[in-house]
Amino acid sequence: MAEMTHIERVMAALTNAPADRLTTYPIACGVNRKLVNGGITYREWCHDPKLFAQAFIEGQKAFDYDFAIGLMDLSVMAGDLGAGVRMDEQNTPFVDRHIVNSPEDYEKFEVPDIKKGRSAVLLEGTKLYADKLKTEVITAGFLEGPLLALSQSAGAERMFMDMFTNPSAVHKALETMTAYDVEMVKGFGKTGVAGLCWDYLWANYSCLGDDQYEEFEGCKKYAVGLNELTTKEGMAVAIHSCADLPHLDTQIFKFKPAIYSMAYYPLIPGSPSATEVIEKGYADNCLIGGQIDPQLFIRGSVEKITQVTKDLCQEVKTALCKKGLQGKYCIASGCEVPPDVHTKMENIKAVVDTTKQYGKIDW
Amino acid sequence: MKVSQIAGFLGSGKTTAVMKIVDELMKRGRRMAIVVNDVGEINVDAKFIESHGLKAKEIAGGCICCQIAGTFSETLAKLHDAYDPEIVIVEPSGVAIPWGLKRAAEYSEAKADMVIEHAPVITLVDATRIDLLVKAVKRLVETQIREADVCFVNKVDTASAADIAKTEQLIKEINPKAEISHMSSESGHGIKYACDLIEKKISPRYDEAVEEELLKKQYKG
Ligand SMILES: Nc1nc2c(ncn2[C@@H]2O[C@H](COP(=O)(O)OP(=O)(O)OP(=O)(O)O)[C@@H](O)[C@H]2O)c(=O)[nH]1
Ligand SMILES: [Mg+2]
Repeated sequence: MAEMTHIERVMAALTNAPADRLTTYPIACGVNRKLVNGGITYREWCHDPKLFAQAFIEGQKAFDYDFAIGLMDLSVMAGDLGAGVRMDEQNTPFVDRHIVNSPEDYEKFEVPDIKKGRSAVLLEGTKLYADKLKTEVITAGFLEGPLLALSQSAGAERMFMDMFTNPSAVHKALETMTAYDVEMVKGFGKTGVAGLCWDYLWANYSCLGDDQYEEFEGCKKYAVGLNELTTKEGMAVAIHSCADLPHLDTQIFKFKPAIYSMAYYPLIPGSPSATEVIEKGYADNCLIGGQIDPQLFIRGSVEKITQVTKDLCQEVKTALCKKGLQGKYCIASGCEVPPDVHTKMENIKAVVDTTKQYGKIDW
Repeated sequence: MKVSQIAGFLGSGKTTAVMKIVDELMKRGRRMAIVVNDVGEINVDAKFIESHGLKAKEIAGGCICCQIAGTFSETLAKLHDAYDPEIVIVEPSGVAIPWGLKRAAEYSEAKADMVIEHAPVITLVDATRIDLLVKAVKRLVETQIREADVCFVNKVDTASAADIAKTEQLIKEINPKAEISHMSSESGHGIKYACDLIEKKISPRYDEAVEEELLKKQYKG
């Protein structure tokens, strides 16, 4: 088949129509800052919408991805809610001071002004790269789900304990997180991105069972409502999960996202491989992305990551063909490509180029 | 450089144990460093914290696989370059997955001239709160027990015999392969034995274990 454009290829993958090859997107976000002005710091990148956007634009020029998905980091919301965020020059920012010290504190959260803080940087930056790239690739924003925003603000262990001992206080806080997310979704709706990628991190059987996940995130009041709003605001729903034991039935069959990006942990019993995910029908109506080990981008040689990508293409093609599917798998990293100064940019290129060569849909 | 994880849920006595373990291993002449998430309320020599302490809220994220792995590995590389410790004791949060942390530790080899070894993964289980833990955060506790090489039933100074027995039973059910021992991180009971394990035993590397697992799959066992 003749070579398709990025957008044609992704649209074909989403609708299970014939396509030239598998799509690919190593989740390269913060790492692309190395391409801006000879390399800028993480701190600069995540505070300036123009620099944030420029990284995605330079990444696209250098690597020719099929998507652009604007993950900043997982402490954007917590920071704007008042948690202390440690901001190193070159490391991913992270919360180092939680703001829940007693059950009463859950009720004190307030939705911040999204025109300020890093929420604003994220929205403005997303608009800038969407403006530039949306005619070339499928663009999406990236947002933390309510339970993740709360765990980052309150501390995950404390939150999990309080879900049992003080459930009403936790729900109160989750309502505020959801209201914050509602504002953000509306903000993303105005940026022109084609989709919005949710991080619902805690849908993980290592942490929560089905009932608990349903009660604290999976229900209409929280995630289901937010997914509906996302669609209403004109964006496709995507979900990223780097869980070792993801709640696939809920997150794929129930949430019905267009795209689901996931990781694979070979040492965790029950962690689903690409083949298993396809065999069990999760790719039937959803474009699955995964599952290259992110660490290979830093520690693997070009030869090694090329081989891994080749093997994954082969594995996925075999499974898709057996299932009678077309290109419903995106060759991606299981989680973000480490946004690290030591990350080997040539390894990102190797994944994209190898998929171009070995991801041809020829069955 | 050997990395030793002392895991366990919130309040299980990790920091208390880590301080005593470091003390003992320093007496044995080891060059030590620690990565813990809170030293505030623990009574330790201030000088010691200054030279060896590092805040590590960074490993409280849960999602150790990607963004946070970078920060953690950077911390280890910096510790190596600054102090060249023989053993680094790490106190992960109760939502971190020990395999994930091993992987993140190995990742620091790309940033400093060193080879990482792992001490047995130690998980502390608080026997005084066992009923509450099982009710409230069963899956998190199970994950940490499942991934441990050695589980210490902790706070045996105050826990009842019945709770100690119940805790042991739970550990056996979840991870029959794990060695089970007792500790009171407060009184110091069990600390010397934990130090022996850390000094002498080795737990498999993540990368080697993965290669082995993948080969097994490829050749169907
Ligand atoms: N009875 C008893 N109490 C202990 C023991 N070890 C720790 N504690 C108490 O348990 C509480 C938590 O101890 P920490 O050492 O801070 O526990 P941790 O696991 O580091 O806690 P976080 O870092 O908050 O997860 C403190 O109040 C300690 O005094 C013990 O062996 N016996
Ligand atoms: Mg502690």
